[in-house]
Amino acid sequence: MELINVKFLIDTFFVALSGVPVALLVTCVSLLIAVPLGFFLALTRINEIPVLKNITKTYVSFVRGTPVIIQIFVLYSSIPLILDGILKNYNIDYAIYDVNPLWYAYIIFSFNTAAVLSEVFRSALQTVPKGQLEAAQAVGLTTAQAYRRIIIPQALVAALPNVCTATINLIKATSLGYAISLQEITLRAKVAANVGYNYLEAYMDIFFVYLILCMTVEYLFKLSERRLSRYKSVVA
Amino acid sequence: MEKYFDIAYLWSALPQLLPYLWVTIYIASAAVIVGSLLGLLLAAAKLSNNKLLQWLANVYTTVMRCTPSIVLLFLVYYGIPAFSENLFGINLQNVHTGIFVVITFSLQFAAMMSEVIRSAYLAIDRGQFEAAVSVGLTPLQAYRRIIFPQALVIALPNFGNGLIAVLQEGALAYTIGFIDIVGKANLIIANNYNTHALEIYIALAVIYWVISIAIEKSFSLLEKAFSKGKQPLKTT
Repeated sequence: MELINVKFLIDTFFVALSGVPVALLVTCVSLLIAVPLGFFLALTRINEIPVLKNITKTYVSFVRGTPVIIQIFVLYSSIPLILDGILKNYNIDYAIYDVNPLWYAYIIFSFNTAAVLSEVFRSALQTVPKGQLEAAQAVGLTTAQAYRRIIIPQALVAALPNVCTATINLIKATSLGYAISLQEITLRAKVAANVGYNYLEAYMDIFFVYLILCMTVEYLFKLSERRLSRYKSVVA
Repeated sequence: MEKYFDIAYLWSALPQLLPYLWVTIYIASAAVIVGSLLGLLLAAAKLSNNKLLQWLANVYTTVMRCTPSIVLLFLVYYGIPAFSENLFGINLQNVHTGIFVVITFSLQFAAMMSEVIRSAYLAIDRGQFEAAVSVGLTPLQAYRRIIFPQALVIALPNFGNGLIAVLQEGALAYTIGFIDIVGKANLIIANNYNTHALEIYIALAVIYWVISIAIEKSFSLLEKAFSKGKQPLKTT
């Protein structure tokens, strides 16, 4: 038995690569949902809004305290159950079990990332001194304006490295999409390997694809961090 | 197939699952011990003056950060036996899957720890070492008595987070057929003819949640205990 089937290795690399759009789509949609949600959750904790604050705390603690795969299992088996009950209640005939797994992926990964990002935003917003908000209000800005023009641009610089980590972790977590039969990088390569038991080659391909993907994302974040912290260099 | 939620399954699953919690904890502990030692070596390489060692350690960390655990797990599981058989003629077919799980998560934990150790070491002022040496301690004594206790306090919260992360990533070990708590849960579900999966998964989530909170709480207690020596300095 030869160690590595080079032809298969090269062919499957492109199969794995064809899963990148799905992985990126799930990542982007999840981020688009999770960023505003996470920001809102962070605000409930910073402003100490009574009931919401406790809900956020429990939610964040749950997401941080359980493995992603378990969250996928729980959500993937509970969402159809709940929806099925609701639909039956209203006598709507809809095959809930035939829904594209992509929709589940959006829900699951937004659920996960929103909690992570709420912690990121909370710590980032706390790095901005309270005086900044007070000064902004003193010169006549509304609170919303002050957040948009003064607080958020400063907090963003502090948040960016952690947002980068969260994004990388999200991309990595999409590899668990196989559990909900999502046609992303890992599943596609694995299916290709099933034919001739070339699992080692398939996983090497998956490994390379994730490596390229994550390093590119990391590089892009580094570029934007440099851009966003321009205002600092003027003072220093 | 009738689908409904029955909490009785959750309660009956807990006593079946809990014995397997030890398997999960053993694996995580083994990975933490091996990973910490490896991480120490990596941190030493990153802090050394040797440019090649520095570069190698940094590349290793980046690669580990960019690889999903499940991909690394399968690379180790398929890769190590294939390489050892083809290059050295050693048959590793009968090695327990637990070994591969430990290797995978040690590799991953080492990358995390190398960054934790490096940043903790850099956080200690160089003057501490110089002062210790100037009062007559040997460099080894200075590290053991002055640098290490201080660096430990700084590293502790990140070490705790790493511990929780390795425990959670360990949940993926079931994918290579290892029977830990998640593997057992899947067996129970298979015994129930794939019904009532949700109850079992919720039981799993609760177990992981409780452990994570316990680890978090004990680490914050440890941190308080270890940083006692700092208090007098702060007040003056």
